[in-house]
Amino acid sequence: MQHLLDTLASGIHDAKNQLFIAESLIAASEAKHGLDLGEARYAIEAAAGRLSRTLSAYRLMRRGAQLAIVPCIVDDLCREVALAQKQHLAQAGITLEIDCQVIDEWPLDRDLITDMLNNAVQNAGRFARSRVVLSARTTADGICLRVEDDGPGFAELPPRRGTGLLLAERLAELHERNGRKGSLQLGNDGALAGARFELSLP
Amino acid sequence: MADYSKKRFLVIDDQPLARDALRSVAQTLGAFTVEFSTNYQDAIYRIRQNVPDIILCDYVLGEGRSGQQLLEELRRFNLLPDETIFMMVTGEQSYEQVVAAVELVPDDYIIKPFSPDKLQLRLDRIMEKKNFFADYYREKRRQEYAQALAILQACRTSEAGRPYRYEILRQQAEVEMASGLVEQAEATYRGILEKFNFPWARAGVARSLQQQNRLSEARQEIDQVVAGTPHYFDAADVKASICMAQGEHAEAQKVLDTASQKTPRNYQRKRLLAEAANLNGDTATASAALSDVLANDSMPGAVTPADRLALARTHVAANELIGAEKVLLSLRESEVQNMALSEQASYVALLALSLPGKGKPRFSGLRPALMVGELETAARIDVMRTALDLADNDLADHQCEQLMASSEAKKLFGTLRGLYSRYGREMDFREIQRQVALKRIHHEVPAAG
Repeated sequence: MQHLLDTLASGIHDAKNQLFIAESLIAASEAKHGLDLGEARYAIEAAAGRLSRTLSAYRLMRRGAQLAIVPCIVDDLCREVALAQKQHLAQAGITLEIDCQVIDEWPLDRDLITDMLNNAVQNAGRFARSRVVLSARTTADGICLRVEDDGPGFAELPPRRGTGLLLAERLAELHERNGRKGSLQLGNDGALAGARFELSLP
Repeated sequence: MADYSKKRFLVIDDQPLARDALRSVAQTLGAFTVEFSTNYQDAIYRIRQNVPDIILCDYVLGEGRSGQQLLEELRRFNLLPDETIFMMVTGEQSYEQVVAAVELVPDDYIIKPFSPDKLQLRLDRIMEKKNFFADYYREKRRQEYAQALAILQACRTSEAGRPYRYEILRQQAEVEMASGLVEQAEATYRGILEKFNFPWARAGVARSLQQQNRLSEARQEIDQVVAGTPHYFDAADVKASICMAQGEHAEAQKVLDTASQKTPRNYQRKRLLAEAANLNGDTATASAALSDVLANDSMPGAVTPADRLALARTHVAANELIGAEKVLLSLRESEVQNMALSEQASYVALLALSLPGKGKPRFSGLRPALMVGELETAARIDVMRTALDLADNDLADHQCEQLMASSEAKKLFGTLRGLYSRYGREMDFREIQRQVALKRIHHEVPAAG
């Protein structure tokens, strides 16, 4: 089992190195010729994200999976999601707003949570009419990260679980602190009247 | 956005295409000066010559070296000022597992592929953080620890410090450890653990307990860390050193053996392994580890006379006197003259056993100093061994008494008793042990527990 995981990880690692070379070549031509090839770079990063997510899903679904929890500035995390998604959403006429009210550092798995929020914002962008909001709040017993859109909402509740949602659920419950676990809530009662994707972390 | 045009970048990567990619990313940020290193040695050489402002280092460096090792080596030799940015670049998500556990972390890491914008966002925020801690870094470098702690205290209660509250506490604990305030350090680490169960904070609790000689408690904490995060090799080192202090040398060697196999080029760990193996009576392992250190720890100044003395000591313990002689004679006379008293004592003691004609006169010449001087532990054992061999009972018993009265008594007990019984003086050793215990009761000096 470990052997298979290592093989997969090393293959994905090589692929991401190649993708990085491709993305850098594109970025260099953009700078040299004054082009905007943001969508090409977006496609490359989306492909890399997909590879990472597949590996993470495989890794986290196993028993005894461990996260890598580090103190993290939540605002930085939100800004990174905005950087990755804003331009792409704008192409489709959708604005992404960020509203982060968490100032203190928070212990969480930065890479996996960022990836999950990227995925949630991508999904919201697919159904939104014109707006997606990513917000972060402190609550009585933790923080709450929320992605809302002004689309039609989930067709059924609870929705069918694809890789992304299964991974989000697992990731939430692996965040454990002083005996309390994180959780994922999905609903159609968002502030923008569309779907609401909400992750609570202790 | 910070101005990157005046910053000196150093890109470290063994793959030419990836190196070019990193350079073009840096240039997109406006960087004018971008230097390259293609391997570990060259990177160290360049950083020694002229410290860059920003280091972009790939995690995989070839030849069994990693960026994490490079970072640890740079910190070990104090080649990386706090002001320099060290950014690890990696295609592997698993590096985050490393960062979550270890004590020595880069300023940040970034997972490939990434855009120039994303790197810039990361670098901008590191600059903000370094600006926030600038006063603290200055006081820490000057070793003005009280000042440094006062600055951190102010940081902790400031609004601007809220995004860095864990980092502030972590720095505070480190300064407290460095300045000997071990009980405060313990309290600070425990305060962090109350907020979140970070492995590095629990290892910190263990280290501070060890410094307070509360060994069983320290052991309990570190066992928990090693069991929970087996890839956290620094914790293995801490565990081994606690085990040694408790006199459990076989366990110490086992822990270090496992960690060393996973990190074959970590020579500090090899030195520790040699120490544990020697205490454990496994001179073959000790000798192999030390020979590896002497041959391959290639950083200038990394291999010291102390390493050669350790190897000579190992040969003497294994009764390979020719080997010991060879190692000792590889030390130049000028190096010996420049040694502190402890190392000189070890040198003449080991030489007296392996090359008596040359060594014995020098040993007797130094004897008056050995009867009164403050010696380090290893030197005391060397002197004791040679004195036993020369039937100089006063000198041997003096060293033995000092060692048995020190906080390292538990660690050394087996070694000392072994040497006394080898020379048929086990009963005398028991008497020394009894006398030291009586004195301890008399003065109510607590033993390590």
